[in-house]
Amino acid sequence: MKTPRDILFARHQSAAPKLDAIRRQVVLELNHQDTKAQSRTENLVSWCLGGSKKLWQELIWPCRRIWTGLAAVWILIFIVNFSQHGGSQTVIAKSSPSPEMMMTFRDQQKWLDELLADRSLPMDAGQPRIFSPKPRTEITELLTA
Amino acid sequence: MLAVATAEQLPVQQARDGNPAAWDVFFRRYQLPLYVYVFELVRNEQTSLDLVQETFISAVKHIGGLRDDEKFGSWLFGIAHQKVIQLWRKRGGKEILFDEIPESPDDFEDSPDDLLIRREQEAEFMNLLNQLPLPQRSVLLLHFVEDFSLEEIARITETQLGTVKSRLHYAKKSLRKLLKEKNENAA
Repeated sequence: MKTPRDILFARHQSAAPKLDAIRRQVVLELNHQDTKAQSRTENLVSWCLGGSKKLWQELIWPCRRIWTGLAAVWILIFIVNFSQHGGSQTVIAKSSPSPEMMMTFRDQQKWLDELLADRSLPMDAGQPRIFSPKPRTEITELLTA
Repeated sequence: MLAVATAEQLPVQQARDGNPAAWDVFFRRYQLPLYVYVFELVRNEQTSLDLVQETFISAVKHIGGLRDDEKFGSWLFGIAHQKVIQLWRKRGGKEILFDEIPESPDDFEDSPDDLLIRREQEAEFMNLLNQLPLPQRSVLLLHFVEDFSLEEIARITETQLGTVKSRLHYAKKSLRKLLKEKNENAA
């Protein structure tokens, strides 16, 4: 006695080699896709490497002294800039106003306030004279008197 | 007896990652059951082989759509079933897809091994299987070949659970009746 499953499988067992071939074909296709994806990344890496080599050979190596000089100048600029930046920071950090300095600063502020207060007063001398034209007869009278 | 990997042993995650070796394991496991199912519905060797190949390719493409890893088998058979339906539609076989049996039976038997066939009845069994209407044959094959649950068969064939129950019941009943008739005639 057999189950329907046994009968069905036994009946189609002859198709197994063809199914194996199909399976291999599909898996091979998958392998190809996998390889293609891998080769794509490899291509990208080799393209980057090749590009950088070409850049080195054609742009940098022939003018190496100029590039070296430029690099040295830039390094110097960076060093100077860095040291100045660092120095100013330390000065700022170290400087705390002493009581004498605060006193001087207050005096200066006081003088400045006084000066400004004086300026705010009306000053006739400082004001520009406004020219008001008069008739010629009045002018001559003034001159003769 | 065929040695097949259980669903738990199958490397679904590796297959999701596109690992060819994992897919090889899957195809090896399901190639014959799929072929049996498809062949018994379309009755043509070359078409069946083409449909199995298309099923494999679709599975690789759409593995992202598989929600439950343990349901890989029913998911794969679902793809194959859709391929068969597409073929039927191309050939103008609309009516066979909507052959509904309304009643749901109460005396349902859920074991594919409850129907044991004697050696001399094998050829007769195959003939009788081919006489069944396609929807009944489809459900019966899924039951015999992979011992899918009723829920899984409903998912594969995209039909109601009650419809699957009815189809399976009537298919088995028809098959028994035919076998009995043959036996009586032989006697």
